[in-house]
Amino acid sequence: MPKFILDGKEIEFEQGQTIIQAAKKSGITIPHFCWHESLSISGNCRVCLVEIEKMPKLAIACSTLAAEGMVVYSESDKALSARNAVMEFELINHPLDCPICDEAGECKLQDYAYSHGNGESRFNEEKAHKDKRVPLGPLVMFDGDRCISCSRCIRFCDEIAKESQLTFIKRGDRVTIVTYPGKQLDNPYSMNVTDICPVGALTSRDFRFKARVWELSSTKSICNGCSRGCNINLEVRNNQVLRLTPRQNDEVNSFWMCDHGRVNTYKFINAEDRVDSPYLRRKGALARSGWDEAFAAASSELKSYSKNEIAFIGSPYATCEDNFILSKFATQIIGTKHMDFIRHFNTSFGDNFLRQGDVTPNSFGAKAVGIFPGKGGLDLDGIIKAVKDGQIKAVYLMEDDMIAFNPELQEIFSKLDLFIVHATNFNKTTELADIVFPASTYAEKHGTIVNSDGRVQRLKPAVATFDVDRALEGMSLSRWDKFGTKFDSWAEGNKRDARSSWRILAGLSGAMGHKYKYGTAEEVFMDIAKSINAFSGLDYEVIGELGAKLKLDSVTKPVIA
Amino acid sequence: MEKIVLPDIKDLHLIDVYIQNGGYTALKKAFSQTPDDIIDQVKKSGLRGRGGAAFFAGLKWSFMPKTSSKPKYLCINGDESEPGSFKDRQILEFNPHQLIEGTLIEAYAIQANAAYIYIRGEYHKWIKLLEKALADAYEYGFVGDKMKEKLGGNYSVNIYVHKGAGAYICGEESALMNSIEGKRGYPRVKPPFPAQNGLWGCPTTINNVETVANVPPIINKGWEWFSKIGEPKHPGTILYGLSGHVNNPGIYELPSGTLLTDLIYKYGGGVPGNKKILCVIPGGSSMPPLRGEQIEGIKMDAESLKAAGTSIGTAGIIVMDEDTDLVQVLARIAKFYYHESCGQCTPCREGTGWMLKLLNRIAKGEGSTHDLDLLISVASNIEGNTICALGEAAAWPVRFMITRFRDYFETCVSREVTIPVANKVHSLRHTEYPLAPIKD
Amino acid sequence: MEFTFTPENLNRINEVISHYPEKRPAVMGVLYIAQEQNGWISYEVMKEVAYVLDMKEEEILGIVSFYTMYHEKPVGKFHLQVCTNVSCMLRGGYKIYDHVKEKLGIENGGVTEDKLFSLEEVECMGSCGTAPMIAVNEDYFENLNIQQIDQIIESLKNK
Repeated sequence: MPKFILDGKEIEFEQGQTIIQAAKKSGITIPHFCWHESLSISGNCRVCLVEIEKMPKLAIACSTLAAEGMVVYSESDKALSARNAVMEFELINHPLDCPICDEAGECKLQDYAYSHGNGESRFNEEKAHKDKRVPLGPLVMFDGDRCISCSRCIRFCDEIAKESQLTFIKRGDRVTIVTYPGKQLDNPYSMNVTDICPVGALTSRDFRFKARVWELSSTKSICNGCSRGCNINLEVRNNQVLRLTPRQNDEVNSFWMCDHGRVNTYKFINAEDRVDSPYLRRKGALARSGWDEAFAAASSELKSYSKNEIAFIGSPYATCEDNFILSKFATQIIGTKHMDFIRHFNTSFGDNFLRQGDVTPNSFGAKAVGIFPGKGGLDLDGIIKAVKDGQIKAVYLMEDDMIAFNPELQEIFSKLDLFIVHATNFNKTTELADIVFPASTYAEKHGTIVNSDGRVQRLKPAVATFDVDRALEGMSLSRWDKFGTKFDSWAEGNKRDARSSWRILAGLSGAMGHKYKYGTAEEVFMDIAKSINAFSGLDYEVIGELGAKLKLDSVTKPVIA
Repeated sequence: MEKIVLPDIKDLHLIDVYIQNGGYTALKKAFSQTPDDIIDQVKKSGLRGRGGAAFFAGLKWSFMPKTSSKPKYLCINGDESEPGSFKDRQILEFNPHQLIEGTLIEAYAIQANAAYIYIRGEYHKWIKLLEKALADAYEYGFVGDKMKEKLGGNYSVNIYVHKGAGAYICGEESALMNSIEGKRGYPRVKPPFPAQNGLWGCPTTINNVETVANVPPIINKGWEWFSKIGEPKHPGTILYGLSGHVNNPGIYELPSGTLLTDLIYKYGGGVPGNKKILCVIPGGSSMPPLRGEQIEGIKMDAESLKAAGTSIGTAGIIVMDEDTDLVQVLARIAKFYYHESCGQCTPCREGTGWMLKLLNRIAKGEGSTHDLDLLISVASNIEGNTICALGEAAAWPVRFMITRFRDYFETCVSREVTIPVANKVHSLRHTEYPLAPIKD
Repeated sequence: MEFTFTPENLNRINEVISHYPEKRPAVMGVLYIAQEQNGWISYEVMKEVAYVLDMKEEEILGIVSFYTMYHEKPVGKFHLQVCTNVSCMLRGGYKIYDHVKEKLGIENGGVTEDKLFSLEEVECMGSCGTAPMIAVNEDYFENLNIQQIDQIIESLKNK
């Protein structure tokens, strides 16, 4: 491989790579604002100016191709003096409003001002003023004063979202960013501009003024908004999820996620209507119960039906681990062959970028770990028909809102003698249930889900419940989270008595006289890897932060209809 | 003295008059030679660009790839917007056919598929004049499809006039190409250079109007003849523009290397009221100014002016007499570059505004010596750090005017330096600010 | 207000488009035609220009606001442009400019109440050798003094 020298270090590069790209591959970040790996090069910020031997002028590292033997200095006097000069220019018209700016703490300009700035200003004139608090769209707010005209947002809209909704107008230091009068920044990916904006010019209207970012703990997770499985960070304060941000995974979502995933898939976690303990129906109404009482009730109820009268419905929202235990429970303990899960398909949601028509995160995994009818067993339509006909008398449903999915089922399912439900939130389905178990959300448990490409990815708890202890689970903390001190912001958060579905099932099977040996989700997964071909060779470590592909030849992709 | 570009021939702008005076014979001659021969002759003639950078024209043409799967383009730069420059409009008005003929020869030499002449929008009248001349040339068969029939050979090309719309920056060649492409006139990051990646990503050459107008005589009379006119390192005649405090402002076509003092006194008729000269900008407002006492013996060509610490630019000479308020002049120049900065890259976008604000404050009598140093520092911080040369164009006048006229500016500012406390209090660290060394 | 090109102008637009290998480069020429027809470039005009060139309105807005010769708001019947750049300044450009301001009672960017005149302080127009100057719409008036300015404005009033 060809090499060049950067600040005395040999850097390997591939033909066609720029200095900044090659340096980044080698773990060295040359300061930059406008450059972004997956956008075209605009070269406008000038922060990445470097000195190159035998070149008369400084060159920008973002557009200069690396060449064999090239000697580059990013920290020489000349390079530093240019960088300081550019930083000073960036700051002269930038407001000093970090204390009220949402970007503070994750602001490139702030970071570089600290590391490369002069620390004081020589600018003693009136700053240029532009429009502030401009709602560019339903989800994005613009502050013209803070904008450094790097054009990342414009390039994102043009090149990635393919909706040229933003443009520069005017010239010089009057340049600002607008949408066309009467139009909005409202494409399905609009909020990504808030991530790539290097300053606080573009902020999320969903997150504005909710928290200082350094108060947030960040946990690597997977979006559950559709079967793409975009890699995300779950950002939490006081045990509440406050925002989701995309996490780079070149195999899945690059740097991006859709707005739906970002704003519509976390609020149920914090919602008031969470199921906060097991519930039993008494005198027609659901009443709070203890776990043992609920397990005992479920156990005795289930025992009173023959195996052919019971059907199980798994969940494309639950993890592989949850579905795997459900499948085992159904076939081994109950012995029924009637088992399926609900396909949630929305063609209008899918696009040819990230969004998938299958709007659940794990339908692939649910099927792969065994949620399908046994030989001669009933599938979903069969189960519904059999409930209607009275052949199926008991249904065990895990983590899905059947009735919301199909309101016609309300009448049919109200015929059931026994309806046991795992639910994260009270919903139309729990209204009909006889027993409700509180299920942990994807943000509260360990587990794996499989995206539509057959990629297994990891969920980790970001929110503590009675079931997951943040210390024991090694949950990530923000710098404000100091156990037991007055700065321990988690102590104020609401902790819920919810459990992973597989653990609920393990508890129930214990009550039925069959004890599962699993202590952790990881142990369940080890069993999956052992017993299901597609998962063989995988473990939590192999899956890691970026996921791993299933052996696709050994499992057929579930047909979603 | 021979005039090459603007000869004293009545009604030369009419195609028949132009032809009667040997017009379009260079084109025929060129077509009987290979494109490489033409480039070779232009190279040997020593013709240098008249648009500001004085780059060797033949060398520039030779950068064009000989074989290309993509079309090739020629752009003629008639955006003429540099304060003090007003020469191209004379060519458009008085000798448009020579421009057209030169364009055709160059197009042939680089085998261009089309040529665009970009003229600033304000030159409405001159665009009409050029369009008339172009229509006549089309009618006579010198341009377009009829060329093959009229001139023999296998080459034909169309020439189009592209009208700008008020943006100095479009005189920068890559901004000019973006402007032709129908975009905001943002200069492009170089490399790649136009010869590799120009108009619509295709190989492109861009030359100034005056440069191209010099080509037909070179082909007709030979490169040796041309190379002997004026200064050998920058041969030919130059359209010098005289403006400001001179009795007879205007365009003077004279051999390169003509004395600056001759231009001002012999041709320009001297300074009104016989006043002394305080300052001369020799090449358009972006070029480093000279002190009045400095101009004696200075020859007007690229190399001589470089040696004198300035630059030929567009040879637009702005003369200022002893009563001129240099602070106002510099503030006005700074205002121009502030107004024209495209806003794309940081140092120019922010720096031009900062310099203007400082100069306006000094002009109001509220400046200090500290502000003079700050201006030089800000200008130095813009230079060399921008995408295009507008950075230098904005910085040079400020830096050189203040360094060369320090004594003058010192009398316009107070010696007391007051740095506002407010700018200190947010400081977390106090580090020495590494100033770029002052270049002069 | 709705804006559509006249059939003659659509023909002219097609002619402009034919100068280039694609439609977009015609935008500057088309905007001139639009401005000639409408007097200024309104948002409706931009929309129509975008439509005839298969471009985005946003792009048109970016272009219109970049180039100073496209008027984003209505100008007077006679748009007076006074150059105050160095060469004109040295020869009385600001005197001319101030005189026009005073005579018409408008500031830079202003339009007189009768909508007859508008004023713009412009950058170098290339009249340095014939300074000072004023441009009325597309026509240059050069080598001026205050009296001539008065004459020009009077004659325009009677036009």
